[in-house]
Amino acid sequence: MATNLFSWIKQNLFGQISCQRCIELLELITDGEASLEEEQQFRKHIDECLPCYETFNLEKSIKEMLQTKLEKKQVPDDLIQSIKKKIRNTA
Amino acid sequence: MPAEKLKQNYSSQEKEHIFEHEFLPHIDSMYNFAYRLTFDEDDAKDLVQETYLKAFRFLNSFQQGTNAKAWLFRILKNSFINDFRKKSKQPPKVDYQEVETFYNSDNVDVSMTTDLRVETVQHMIGDEVSNALNALAVDFRTVIILCDLEGFTYEEMSKILDIPIGTVRSRLHRARNLLKEKLQAYAKSMGYNK
Repeated sequence: MATNLFSWIKQNLFGQISCQRCIELLELITDGEASLEEEQQFRKHIDECLPCYETFNLEKSIKEMLQTKLEKKQVPDDLIQSIKKKIRNTA
Repeated sequence: MPAEKLKQNYSSQEKEHIFEHEFLPHIDSMYNFAYRLTFDEDDAKDLVQETYLKAFRFLNSFQQGTNAKAWLFRILKNSFINDFRKKSKQPPKVDYQEVETFYNSDNVDVSMTTDLRVETVQHMIGDEVSNALNALAVDFRTVIILCDLEGFTYEEMSKILDIPIGTVRSRLHRARNLLKEKLQAYAKSMGYNK
């Protein structure tokens, strides 16, 4: 309870969040789902906390890796034509 | 969602226009999603074709100008689960027990167990990333594809998957932890981490 009160005071009076709260916000931030206030609290925290900063970088780099390194399959040339043909036949 | 229930009455010209300009531009993402679900080019092709035919058949339930991509992904995912997986000879790759345990909680657990490093991740090549992602059960793989590859919001994912946003978050969190485990194991086997 005392710890909770301490976190509450830090968060609400000084805008500081705990590492636990920071980790909770991590995915919301990387996914662009955090509110402006959450984003500000988060940025302030990782400016001062190296472990959380590193965890954030890892999370970001995994997301980037997925976006840039996975091979994109080429849509087969005949697929669109085949869909259109089927639609014409059923219409 | 009353808007979704409103039936439209499009003329054949309007239908053709919507199909051409709102649905077909997403075929690239749809095909890649289908391929990542089925791991087979022919199956992916059939699944995409089936999805587009259904989308055309139910076009009157689509409201022009709304999120066509999410609507199409929803149809594709339902076709995969309801029709396609039954027809396929492959056994389902979902570990339901594992999945259920985590779906029943809306709380996002904040455990960080990985000692995966940014440099390791940056050195991974496409095949390694692909193998790690493909090793995940289909429901976990799906949320990562929707969120990280296709950029859907939690709300859109919640509609595509028919689950509450809290479940989207916990499933995504669990999926990412599993992916990290796979990447970590891979990195270790390749001697990337000391």
